Amino acid sequence: MALLQIAEPGQSPQPHQRRLAVGIDLGTTNSLVAALRSGLSEPLPDAQGQVILPSAVRYHADRIDVGQIAKAAASSDPLNTVLSVKRLMGRGLADVKQLGEQLPYRFVGGESHMPFIDTVQGPKSPVEVSADILKALRQRAEETLGGELVGAVITVPAYFDDAQRQATKDAAKLAGLNVLRLLNEPTAAAVAYGLDQHAEGVVAIYDLGGGTFDISILRLTGGVFEVMATGGDSALGGDDFDHAIATWMVEQAGLSADLDPGAQRSLLQAACAAKEALTQADSVEVAHGDWRAELTRQAFDALIEPMVARSLKACRRAVRDSGIEIEEVEAVVMVGGSTRVPRVREAVAELFGRQPLTEIDPDQVVAIGAAIQADTLAGNKRDGEELLLLDVIPLSLGLETMGGLMEKVIPRNTTIPVARAQDFTTYKDGQSAMMIHVLQGERELISDCRSLARFELRGIPAMVAGAAKIRVTFQVDADGLLSVAARELGSGVEASIQVKPSYGLTDGEIARMLKDSFEHAGYDKVARQLREHQVDAERLLEAVQGALDADGERLLDAEERMVIEHQMEELRQLMSGTDGPAIEQQTKRLSQVTDAFAARRLDSTVKAALAGRNLNEIEE
Amino acid sequence: MGTPCHFALFDLKPSFRLDLEQLAARYRELARGVHPDRFADASEREQRLALERSAGLNEAYQTLKSAPKRARYLLAISGHEVPQEVTVHDPEFLLQQMELREELEDLQDSADLAGVATFKRRLKGAQDELNESFAACWNDAAQREQAERLMRRMQFLDKLSYEVRQLEERLDD
Repeated sequence: MALLQIAEPGQSPQPHQRRLAVGIDLGTTNSLVAALRSGLSEPLPDAQGQVILPSAVRYHADRIDVGQIAKAAASSDPLNTVLSVKRLMGRGLADVKQLGEQLPYRFVGGESHMPFIDTVQGPKSPVEVSADILKALRQRAEETLGGELVGAVITVPAYFDDAQRQATKDAAKLAGLNVLRLLNEPTAAAVAYGLDQHAEGVVAIYDLGGGTFDISILRLTGGVFEVMATGGDSALGGDDFDHAIATWMVEQAGLSADLDPGAQRSLLQAACAAKEALTQADSVEVAHGDWRAELTRQAFDALIEPMVARSLKACRRAVRDSGIEIEEVEAVVMVGGSTRVPRVREAVAELFGRQPLTEIDPDQVVAIGAAIQADTLAGNKRDGEELLLLDVIPLSLGLETMGGLMEKVIPRNTTIPVARAQDFTTYKDGQSAMMIHVLQGERELISDCRSLARFELRGIPAMVAGAAKIRVTFQVDADGLLSVAARELGSGVEASIQVKPSYGLTDGEIARMLKDSFEHAGYDKVARQLREHQVDAERLLEAVQGALDADGERLLDAEERMVIEHQMEELRQLMSGTDGPAIEQQTKRLSQVTDAFAARRLDSTVKAALAGRNLNEIEE
Repeated sequence: MGTPCHFALFDLKPSFRLDLEQLAARYRELARGVHPDRFADASEREQRLALERSAGLNEAYQTLKSAPKRARYLLAISGHEVPQEVTVHDPEFLLQQMELREELEDLQDSADLAGVATFKRRLKGAQDELNESFAACWNDAAQREQAERLMRRMQFLDKLSYEVRQLEERLDD
């Protein structure tokens, strides 16, 4: 009998051949691809020896430029050249419009809620633009490594929500990459740093990139990288420093705020160059047209201070969430190009009471770590202890409950993978369907959280209110992606959804949501109480109305009925207002005046039930 | 339910007193075996199983790591599930709770960070004390009622410490 060599798809039939896998840092400003070569993880250079690929894509009628050449055309061809596309990932058209003035593109709506950028090649979604960057990196890797890739680990900001993660995964698929894992950027950096320095203990990773900020606190123990807490701001980065300088220039030069796209771009480029120069110099000359001025480092520091302060606040929160004292942090690692800004380094050093580490190139450390993880996941055995990464979800996940409130099912900073179930019930007699509304965020009111998905569980058998038992299960996989299933336990009726949102939050909304949840905690409580009273009132009104319709004629005389209807009317009027205590009071009153009616109904049902039983018994 | 006992999963005998360092070490060891990263190139079925196992392990670890959750779990496996919401007849403790909450509100109004630190230390002391009392009685059927009461108190204090964290957040501006 012939020996057949059987291999799983994607699996190499030669066991000793190294399986090619790469780590990709898909950044706001710059992207990199890295791989393990002769035991060392390093970024792969292009033909010109450059490892950094600017995250810029320019669309021509017949071809696509990616990288430096595209970036260079940013002000001459602003409408067809896309920069910082990462800021648009997982966002909706409405959200992007709010970012508005900063973006020179012409946006058009598509079939989904995604924003499409109108180019000479037609409308392009952010997912497609990202895929074009990924394709360039994939090609570079396959040429350099000399073979087809088994897969890639793609990094995402730890603070990315479900929609942004899903959009990134879609972009990778579109670029023909097999995604081995979506890895959080600070975790990737921790891997590179930890393995390089043989570090153990508690480490903070401060990652300030072009458009996003992450802070992660990890515990490193014998090859296990355990994220204790993570936090950040998915709309805070070096781009914002550039905008601060550009705004300052516009004010100083007395320019009008509505510049044309080309002028906007060149202003931003001048601002970015000034920022970079101030890393070394104490002052720099900035110019726009004929206008010239001096920008000192002191003035620049003052411009960015509010943003630096925001990042520090997120650091303190992450430390608190990890349940340790700040003194217990044994090392602080700086990641992301924006940590080159001296004021940022200084502020982080002050907060943690120690000099932050900058040994590994802050632009490369994420890709280097991702490549190590990619190699492990592809099944290539590493020397010594195997690596294990235990990550968390950055934002709480929950469901809408009665009255527009968010009930948390999985709180933020829970280790993934995780599966958690919560039981709910019906609130109306004979209710046959239930809407499941999945949310992400920290606030109590659903209008302040991000809506991830809605689906309906249908076919619930008719039962009295409260008798059905509906179990909703949340599952978050190792990529941080959520799926939700709902099941009525009695009948086994099921519905489930792979949460795949088609649009997103306003940029900065997550940061705002978190910030608000603390600032408005007092307000939330009042609002929550009001909603609770309204819900109680609604329920009672519905129940009483139902009872009146069914048995009002039979069990009440005209006067009794009038009293009840009068109290109902009073309650209805209060409900449109915001006086919670008054609603509560009136709900009680209505409940009191219907007591006797309720008792009579109960008696009559008992009698009917008894009568029914007698009938059955007789029939037997 | 077909799920194995959380303690058995960690190869431990049911007990309230746990060496948390040892529990963490055991957790890391177990996670190494079942984490989906180990099965990134395995069949879909294996990947799904790894996901389920790993989620189960994380749940067990979260339960055992937290004193109030561990207490509730111990009472559930040694007798019957303690209902989540029930009218608490513990007037002495409720009074103390109300006082603590008022104190916390005063701290918020005066934005007193040093006061918050002191409050946290006192809270920690009270939690340690409760843990000790619970450890001494949970396994005695005759003291079941007392154990349940202590467990509820633990939950109250746990919630309170969460509120302290939120207060710190608000004061951090």
